[in-house]
Amino acid sequence: MFKDRPIVVTAYVVCTLMALLAVTPFFWVLMTALKPNPEINAWPPHILPEQPTLDHFIRILGEENFLRYIFNSLVIALSSMAAILFTSSLAGFIFAKYRFPGRGLLFAIILATAIIPLEVYIIPLYLMVFGVKMMDSYFALVFPFVIMTFGVFFMRQVIMAIPDELLEAARIDGANEFWIYVRVVLALSKSGLMALGVFAFSEAWANFIWPLVVVTTKDMYTTELGLATYQRQFFIEYGPISAGAVISIMPMLIVFALLRRHIMKGIATSGLRG
Amino acid sequence: MKLTDDIAPRGNLAARFSEFRESIGRDHLLWVLFALGPVFALFCIIRVYPILETIRLSFYRYHPTQRSRPFIGLDNYRRLLEDEAFHTALINTLQFCVMATVITLLLAFAVAVLLRSIEKVAPIYELLLYIPVVTPWVPASVIWKWIFDPVHGVLNYALGSAGLPKLAWLQDEHVIIYAIVLVSVWKMLGYFVVVFGVGLRNIPDELLEAAELDGATPWQRLIYIVIPMMKPIILFTVIIATIIFFNVFAPVYVLTASAQGAPAYDFKVVIGEIYQNAFVFYRMGYAGAQSVVLLLFVLTLVFIQFTLFRDKAGR
Repeated sequence: MFKDRPIVVTAYVVCTLMALLAVTPFFWVLMTALKPNPEINAWPPHILPEQPTLDHFIRILGEENFLRYIFNSLVIALSSMAAILFTSSLAGFIFAKYRFPGRGLLFAIILATAIIPLEVYIIPLYLMVFGVKMMDSYFALVFPFVIMTFGVFFMRQVIMAIPDELLEAARIDGANEFWIYVRVVLALSKSGLMALGVFAFSEAWANFIWPLVVVTTKDMYTTELGLATYQRQFFIEYGPISAGAVISIMPMLIVFALLRRHIMKGIATSGLRG
Repeated sequence: MKLTDDIAPRGNLAARFSEFRESIGRDHLLWVLFALGPVFALFCIIRVYPILETIRLSFYRYHPTQRSRPFIGLDNYRRLLEDEAFHTALINTLQFCVMATVITLLLAFAVAVLLRSIEKVAPIYELLLYIPVVTPWVPASVIWKWIFDPVHGVLNYALGSAGLPKLAWLQDEHVIIYAIVLVSVWKMLGYFVVVFGVGLRNIPDELLEAAELDGATPWQRLIYIVIPMMKPIILFTVIIATIIFFNVFAPVYVLTASAQGAPAYDFKVVIGEIYQNAFVFYRMGYAGAQSVVLLLFVLTLVFIQFTLFRDKAGR
């Protein structure tokens, strides 16, 4: 955009500085997690641990039940992802490829809820779960995350790009609509499904206020809730807390590293946030 | 004869039946109903009903375990006007929200524009800046809490080494808001850099080249071409950022818990108040009224966005 020499130099300097600021805290928390206790509070701080140790990880995974929290988070995030991929692609397909009375109205009703954050209507959601006596269960934890307004909108965009002729051809070959959904539509929107899947997974994994509200026993803690509670109770234990933070970031970083192209493409086409 | 008599009406029925089936086949109405019905029902149960129910609750005194749930009209809202804690929370949240939005977007815009000058390596920078975005708020805040530590924190160490005064980042009631802004800007910057990047890439190069040939300085090109063309995206990011930051909760929850025995300042925010009233004190009607305030705030922003967009389209 601007090729003038001083601007290019400024760009390198400023962007490198920003990138460094973005990643340094991760480096620092990893170093803290690897330092034995006396080194953590050393003054001046050591950058690298002199005697690196995995004690804090063993402590947090073994004694503090974090393995269970990670398992819970995985169950919730994966179920939510599967449900959202199914509901969004199905509804997106219908809105993209069929004409029926009330289509515009139904789509408008779904879209109208898009911008309203969960925090606004969290009380009735809680009362519903409370009413059916499902507090403290996987059902309660996944329940608000089986649909995603944005997902319907996004999949509709993706599926609209599939040519109608392909669907017609399948129909002439005798395929019914469900078969077309599975074999044509899903098969042809893999990249979009991938981007949405990552987004859905991370939304459910990262949510904090919902588990905070519906979970009552430690066995149902998610990683986020476990970490937040642990750091409130053992505020001096920076070693295990840092190890817990590293563990809770890892799955997101792995997913991001593997699927970064799909994620970046998703943002580029629709402002998807992940 | 008998045979044909028998067959004729049957054939008629079959024809009518297949015609009926065909009409369904053509419009696929049954399929649409089966496929969309359950999904739409879920949307009603999980989104539409709770949103409306929040508004209804705000006119009641509602405790989940108490039988009596009287309608009290606007009492909850009247109480809202006198609730000092809620006023503090509202002011804190607005201050935080404005600061975080302005700083994040200005920085993100600057970085995104600069990245267009180093197009080849830009994806690497975008990737690095995106790492905090995929990090959930809780671990992100936990990381920073240790950096903010007043005695052993590396931030105060850096300030000290630079000859600057150390700060009680999480303990001083005037400083904690900057600590939360810092974490939030750090966390969200990458997202907006990428969004701005998409918009900037869509500006045709010929336009800028033509301006350059006409002798426009980089600064003039930025002000008169890039920024006007980016207006819709800037508007979108302002709305999104404002809503994200107005809903701040997890970093406050983590950062205001006591650190190293030094009690952190209890920084109140709107979601924190809703959480306290609804799920700690079980005043769900009152918390409902607070949620309605939040809802109105969000709707106002959306309304502003729509009117501004329409203005643009009308011109």
